[in-house]
Amino acid sequence: MTEITLSILQVVIIMAIAPLVSGVITKIKNNLRFRSGQSIFQPYRNLKKLFLKEEVISKHVSWIFMVTPFIVLASSVAASLVVPVFIVLTKTQQLGDLLLLVFLFSLGRFFLALAALDTASAFAGMGSSREMFISAFTEAVAILSIFAICLNLGTTNLAAVNLYTIRLPTIIAAISLFMVILAETSRIPIDNPETHLELTMIHEAMVLEYSGRSLALIELASYIKQVVFFSLIGTILMPAFLSNGLLRNFTVFSAYLAKLFALCVLVSFIEVHLAKMRLFRTVDFFSFSFVLALVAIILAALGV
Amino acid sequence: MDYKAALKEINEKMNLEFSILHLSEDEVYLLASPDDFKNICLALHKLLHAPVASFFAQDARKEKGAFKIYCSFMSAKYKKWFFVVTEIPQDNPKFDSLAKEIYSASLFEREIKEMFGIEPIGNPDLRRLRLHDEIWPNDVYPLRKDFKVPELNNVSGVYCFNKVEGEGIFEIPVGPVHAGIIGPGHFRFSSVGEPIINLEIRLGFTHRGIEKFFEGKNAGDALRICECVSGDASFAHSLSYAMAIEKISGIKVLDDTRLMRAVFLELERMYNHINDIGGMAVDVGFSFPAAFASIVKENILQLNEKITGSRYLRNINCIGGITMAWDKDKTQILRDSLKKIYKDFDEIKKILLSSVSFMDRADGTGILKKKTAEDMGITGLAGRASGIAVDLRKDFPGIYGEVNFNLIKQATGDCLGRLFMRISEFEDSIKLIRQFLDKLETHRSDAPPHKSTGLTVEDRRVRDPLISGIRPQAAAQSNSDIKEGFALGYVESWRGPVLYWVKLDKAGAIERCKIVDASFLNWQGLSFCVLGDIIPDFPLCNKSFDLSYSGNDL
Repeated sequence: MTEITLSILQVVIIMAIAPLVSGVITKIKNNLRFRSGQSIFQPYRNLKKLFLKEEVISKHVSWIFMVTPFIVLASSVAASLVVPVFIVLTKTQQLGDLLLLVFLFSLGRFFLALAALDTASAFAGMGSSREMFISAFTEAVAILSIFAICLNLGTTNLAAVNLYTIRLPTIIAAISLFMVILAETSRIPIDNPETHLELTMIHEAMVLEYSGRSLALIELASYIKQVVFFSLIGTILMPAFLSNGLLRNFTVFSAYLAKLFALCVLVSFIEVHLAKMRLFRTVDFFSFSFVLALVAIILAALGV
Repeated sequence: MDYKAALKEINEKMNLEFSILHLSEDEVYLLASPDDFKNICLALHKLLHAPVASFFAQDARKEKGAFKIYCSFMSAKYKKWFFVVTEIPQDNPKFDSLAKEIYSASLFEREIKEMFGIEPIGNPDLRRLRLHDEIWPNDVYPLRKDFKVPELNNVSGVYCFNKVEGEGIFEIPVGPVHAGIIGPGHFRFSSVGEPIINLEIRLGFTHRGIEKFFEGKNAGDALRICECVSGDASFAHSLSYAMAIEKISGIKVLDDTRLMRAVFLELERMYNHINDIGGMAVDVGFSFPAAFASIVKENILQLNEKITGSRYLRNINCIGGITMAWDKDKTQILRDSLKKIYKDFDEIKKILLSSVSFMDRADGTGILKKKTAEDMGITGLAGRASGIAVDLRKDFPGIYGEVNFNLIKQATGDCLGRLFMRISEFEDSIKLIRQFLDKLETHRSDAPPHKSTGLTVEDRRVRDPLISGIRPQAAAQSNSDIKEGFALGYVESWRGPVLYWVKLDKAGAIERCKIVDASFLNWQGLSFCVLGDIIPDFPLCNKSFDLSYSGNDL
């Protein structure tokens, strides 16, 4: 198989399992709370339902509102090309590096916030304002911790990941990155993915005006974003089992699924055992991850 | 000082004329002239340091050619409820507003204006509370006896919200349809960025005209209506109403019955408090204790069903008694269940209070200052959390005087304070129920066996009027004992005082029934406590009060 087909295969696989990851997290969370919970395939059903539903679009919105779902989905899909998930593909993954990843997601977020303002709904405006407030921290911390990892790698290109050995700064940076990911995937303690309580939402508030197919696209994009981030952490912390160039057997793939599952369990535990932070208290959370990233950089520069 | 001496002082020193109209064991009615009405109310307010507990009108045009208004104050010191009464001529329905001096009277005056068309002169805010201008025409006064249902279609009035203006101020409308299964209420936030500058709460969406519905009903039948006023306080409402009727008719209630009623009242308190403790955890996204709390709540509801046949303690009270028999098994079931419930509750308490992330959210959020609470007349649990030491179980103890009961209060007035209140009241309720059960057992052994007209749980299921349309036997039997008169029933429900002022006519039918649920005044407390806090903290503050929409809207 050529690298191009493999790349496409990777994107398709990520898109296919993305809703499942969300379903698994919900299931684990419910089981932790003595509930049987919905099926792990529920997100697929939701997507199907949304795709079939009629879409209601406010008369007062501009083209930004219409194109945003496509831009958000496209940025997520593009991001899934950049990260080596279980195959290291030198060609496509050399198209971009870790910094591109951060900016791809920023692009999607920028348009989501714009579209939310476009609707002129009070909640959507509140949502964009909060999202921008939080992203001001997450982006900075994400770039810092990625920089620390790159110092260890020797390049900003993740394709080199199967050649390196994990060192202390990488682990610290990965923890910092993980904290950012909790925020980026709208999870407790920053946001609450379960609530539709108007006044506390962040991500959900921005997409409040979307319905039908557009909402399905945005939901799918956020599922993909979550898997891309999880894969990134998995790749950085457990570079073993990455196949070099070819999909030789299923070990690689099942190792990848195992990594994702481990992260799902971790995230579920955090979500169940923490309360959501007061909005302005999240700054403390990001300060902590910022300091972690900084420490990682210093250690990496010292060559620990 | 005796209350009579105090009244004499008002009479002589302040040169205010009134006569004592009616006197009962715990109620004093002072009849004043319309001119003196305001000053007597102010004097009593000053003397008793109490907010207006209830303030209502009654259409007495048929007998007297006038409306009557009653303004009531509670005095824990004299163990009395003082009512100032005056007659307002029907051709000039006006009275001097108390609102500027006694803020807690303001809402009641708006209510009197909208329901009777009696104008409180000088009240700056006369907007209607429940009859929304968008559908109700002006000059329609439902609680007047000659009221006819108007056409509701062709009106499109506008409700004026308070406006906050300035650069960077946003108005955020929330509700009345919410993203959850809760009652309808409209919340209008004015904010700069996240901090809330003003919150206006508009209610009345569940107005069902309950007070009107009571009119003309047979005293026994109306008991079942009370249970629908606020579903989560069914028992407190029916108890308060039954108490009023029993007082009017001079029906003596057996000690056993009073003990059992107290047990049910505490059970109602328990399931609601644990529900709110879980609810507060939900609103900060802390899902583990929330799930745990819902299990405990379900256990209490199932316990309720096992003992009474009703999960929400409905259909238990009747005039002069309760509709069920008590036996040793029930005592045993209660004791066993309470042990398990307490164990689970203790676990939840530990999880919540040892969680830094949870405590950080609740501590210092939504502070309601004592002064504000006193001015607004905040009652019940929310008042006690702000340091107002008023609890009808302490001030008018009744059966609670025979057991060991201490009033609990907090000083902070924040969400954490209200949470602590709920936690300690829950624990207290368990202790109280145990003491009541002990009393019940000793009563049993030395008293002749209780002649119960009660029905078994299975019987009651069949006889539930909501299911089968058959009236409970016990309530029907006591109808012959009902006398003419008026009285106030009062119960400390889990939210706070539930007051029923009932006036019966010669035939034993209800002429006027005024209901005051603790929610009515406490909603204002909520709108004051969120000021300065950020918008995402509102759901937590709201849950820490957990007020009733239907109890307010009536």
